[in-house]
Amino acid sequence: MKIAILSGKGGTGKTTLSVNLFSSLKKATLIDTDVEEPNSHLFLKGTTYHEEDIMKEYPVVDDNVCSLCGKCGDFCNFNAIITSKKKVLVFDDLCHSCGGCKLVCPTNAISYAEKSIGKIFYQSVGDNKQFLYGKLLVGEISGVKIIEHLKNVTKKEDILLIDSPPGTSCSTVSAIEGADYCIIAAEPTPFGLSDMRMVVELLRAQKMNFGVVVNKSNLGNDDIYTYLEEEGIDLLGNIEFREEFARIISVGELLVDHSEYVRNIMTDIIKKVLGETYA
Amino acid sequence: MKIGICASNESTDSEVADRFARAEFFAVYDSETLQFTFYSNTAKFEGSGAGGKAVKVLGDLDVEVVLVPELGPKAIDALKIFEIKSYQYKQGKTVREALYEYFEKKLPELLESSVKGKH
Repeated sequence: MKIAILSGKGGTGKTTLSVNLFSSLKKATLIDTDVEEPNSHLFLKGTTYHEEDIMKEYPVVDDNVCSLCGKCGDFCNFNAIITSKKKVLVFDDLCHSCGGCKLVCPTNAISYAEKSIGKIFYQSVGDNKQFLYGKLLVGEISGVKIIEHLKNVTKKEDILLIDSPPGTSCSTVSAIEGADYCIIAAEPTPFGLSDMRMVVELLRAQKMNFGVVVNKSNLGNDDIYTYLEEEGIDLLGNIEFREEFARIISVGELLVDHSEYVRNIMTDIIKKVLGETYA
Repeated sequence: MKIGICASNESTDSEVADRFARAEFFAVYDSETLQFTFYSNTAKFEGSGAGGKAVKVLGDLDVEVVLVPELGPKAIDALKIFEIKSYQYKQGKTVREALYEYFEKKLPELLESSVKGKH
């Protein structure tokens, strides 16, 4: 079973939930797909046993063959190719490697070169657990390729947790694609609710099963609960904000190692999502 | 010769725009006909790469000189392949005033990026 943890708004507790659920499971794999700012590894302190470069393809134009027709630039949706009457300019960092420019080129002037856009790190955590995270290089426009690779190398895992990027952009869609269940880490604030609505819209459009964990449940207001009830969305649990939790997280430690209260909540969520046998 | 000016609105008395690729309009002055023409900047809605696209818009209009507030690295690279020269105005002027200052050679030429690229 594949479970994605996502949020909409940043800072609502995706990683907190992911690493603490992961640590509460006997056997599982976790991938951190927030490749722009991965941070699950800070809590898990695993040992990296393998690193892999993720490459992307980008167009190279042969000026001797190019007829300067401009079709490649007109085709590109990301402005990665700009054509003047004298020259073609490629911004490789904007390229999404779709291959379209090569297809529309009438003179076959375009070939593809490769470059690294980031890495995947493989770590072992304890005896039965595997953790992988990706890291996108600064300046690169899209981490989707790295996320797809993370998903691909873990597609046969029995229990897979996916710590997803914030927001509802391409990266998030890529991270949750194929998940059997999604857990929304929500926050009972106006911003938290507003961003969560967008996530709900996304998950419904993708026909995904999902439930909500309200984090920092003793802060903000009750609007989120009214919303969940009106929309008929499952509430999987509440986690209170406590100063002690902020301290534990700020030094990169796991809440489940310090708090029975959080341990019980994690067990409860696992029971609800995966079933009794996994808790 | 055609000169492009980043404009906040469609008149020569409009203020110049404070951003290049996200400017509302491009005013194009033709020194042969002495006429201004205003074009809506179709690059301003681009999610990314608006700088290169905006240069393409101006280049396809056969503009040879642009008067700009700032330029990012991609816009600078794109201006080179269109052989367009760029000159920097300070804010708070009208389109007409910026053009006069260009003719009076009061505007400095921009040869490299004045701001960092953002993602």
